[in-house]
Amino acid sequence: MNRWLRAAMIAGATIAVGWFVWSSWPPDSQYTPVEISFAVVGLSFMVAGIAAWQRWPASRLGLLFSIVGYLYLVPYILVNLANPVAWTIGNVTEGISGAALAYLGLAWPSGRLRSRFECGVVVANYAQNIAFNTAATMFWNPAFSGCNASCPANVLLIGDGSRSAWNTLGTVEALTGFVITGIVLTLIVRHWRSARGWSRRAMIPLLWIAPAVAAENILTGNLFHFSGLVTYALLPLVLLAGPALFVISTVRARTAGGALGTAIVDLEPGASPGRLRDALARALGDSTLQLAFPQPGGAGYLDTSGQAVDADRPDNGRAVVPVAGSDGAVLVYEEGLELEPHLVKLTAAAASMALEHARLQAEVQAQLEQVRASRARIVEAGDAERRRLERDLHDGAQQRLVMLSLALGMARDRAAGADPELEALITSAGKEAREALTELRELARGIHPAVLTETGLAGAIQALVERSPVAVTITAVPDERFPAAIEATAYFVVSEALANVAKHAMADGAQVTIRGLPGRLMVEVSDDGTGGARAEGGSGLRGLADRVASVGGVLRVDSPPGRGTRLEADLPCP
Amino acid sequence: MIVDDHDGFRRMARGMLEAAGFTVAEAATGAEATEAARTVRPGLVLLDIGLPDFDGFEVARRLAAVPAGDRAPVVVLTSTREARDYGTRIAASPAAGFLPKDELSGAALRRFLPGDP
Repeated sequence: MNRWLRAAMIAGATIAVGWFVWSSWPPDSQYTPVEISFAVVGLSFMVAGIAAWQRWPASRLGLLFSIVGYLYLVPYILVNLANPVAWTIGNVTEGISGAALAYLGLAWPSGRLRSRFECGVVVANYAQNIAFNTAATMFWNPAFSGCNASCPANVLLIGDGSRSAWNTLGTVEALTGFVITGIVLTLIVRHWRSARGWSRRAMIPLLWIAPAVAAENILTGNLFHFSGLVTYALLPLVLLAGPALFVISTVRARTAGGALGTAIVDLEPGASPGRLRDALARALGDSTLQLAFPQPGGAGYLDTSGQAVDADRPDNGRAVVPVAGSDGAVLVYEEGLELEPHLVKLTAAAASMALEHARLQAEVQAQLEQVRASRARIVEAGDAERRRLERDLHDGAQQRLVMLSLALGMARDRAAGADPELEALITSAGKEAREALTELRELARGIHPAVLTETGLAGAIQALVERSPVAVTITAVPDERFPAAIEATAYFVVSEALANVAKHAMADGAQVTIRGLPGRLMVEVSDDGTGGARAEGGSGLRGLADRVASVGGVLRVDSPPGRGTRLEADLPCP
Repeated sequence: MIVDDHDGFRRMARGMLEAAGFTVAEAATGAEATEAARTVRPGLVLLDIGLPDFDGFEVARRLAAVPAGDRAPVVVLTSTREARDYGTRIAASPAAGFLPKDELSGAALRRFLPGDP
């Protein structure tokens, strides 16, 4: 709606108010309740018109609201201007605001009528009003209301007029008015029933229109003779409800942008697109909102509930907006929302942010997963390498030393008695060979304990405990086998812990407990030493924590100074 | 009977044990060992734990499962590694005992034979 028209409307409203103040000047003469009610109702429609213009610039609802306001006020002002022509025009157009009100209701919320039939109904409504008013005015002599020279003359008066003809015309007008009003209300109810999503919500302020149209018809019609008090108290109240409801709903719609922000903030991280859609639909007030994603291979779009959506040619009454930066996602909404383009833009932006956030989160999660997997692979590869080294030593150097040792034994037996010097030499060589073998075995065991591969944790822990210089008791060790990486990690935890106990703790005793729980393997080593060990320190504990983390486990160190150390590894174990 | 996949060790052990008065047969794999045990009927089997087909523990189990009435051979497990590298598995097997390869001698083997002081 262009701004000149808007400015004209606002100027008109100002003039109308000015007239009301001026007409009863000086202020010592009281404003009558009738004057006040006319002014308030008329002005409320003008205010609602301005609000409608602000809220839905693309709708003609603002114009229609303003027209109702003017048609309500102007005849009243004209009748009171004390000018024959003005008085006559005021009489002819009296009550015409009812037709404008019906127009407003039928055209809600776009301001446009939906069919030719509805156009016809609106035109008929105006025509009926003006025709009957004109005819009735012809028979109304101002003298009927008791004023003679003081009243402005009726320009259209035929002869002396006829009160009975005037009455009859009034009755017929009321009856035909009922028929037209019935048609109008039926059409409005049909609009309400067929409206969905946002449009249905936008029609809530319209709920008042049925009583208002009916009241205008019944209260001001000539069929029932209500007292002026009822007419001028009840009608303004019913009429006022409309602009008031509309202004309230406009203020609430203003907060919809904020509601969008809240909806996004309230959305928990990693929420599904379905939850996002629900939050947006709630904030937007369009229960039919669809969030649709393109399917791979150009197979169209699917919404969050799995429904196929044609984003290029949406269904009747639906409109589409792309969600920026989301690999082609779209929002499909109720077409009526086009009246609030700003809100649609905000919603698309909110959806875009939420989807982008979810995408980034998924990306980071995937990267983290990759890093975890690669760390586990590196550790496993290291383990495999150590196993291979141990096996190579066993098959190679150890085997050769065994042979050497045996050969030297046999040589010594042959030399026995014959050459004591040679025998002593061979004996000493044999001793050297056996010592070399022992050292090699220790080295191989340090690289990777064969007993772990051969017998699993129970035997390996037993062997560790036997070699420890500190008295160690084994509280529990499961006999069953676990995945190689888990067994190796558990073994290294105990091995490192016992080495620390021997080196740093100055403990008298230590305890090893390994328990297989559902899905977990708990490894615990505690001592009664000096405590004060820290996982962050440069000790082997840092490396041990990394090792435990590589299989997805957690290492806890509890080591208060003077009260011993408790090392606990919690390993996931399928 | 000596069961070991290492030719050098078999040769040397055979020399040593024959010198000590044993009659010696050889097998290189677990399958050969169980096969030969039926025909040779050895009184004592020196059985390497690390065999290419099944490990010494499995072979020991098969050698122990002889038809009723027959006498099962005395099995002595051996390895380049030490007994503690195998934890409780040696004690759990039907073998008579374990002898590290570098400690092999006729006298050491005889100690496993029943009726020997």
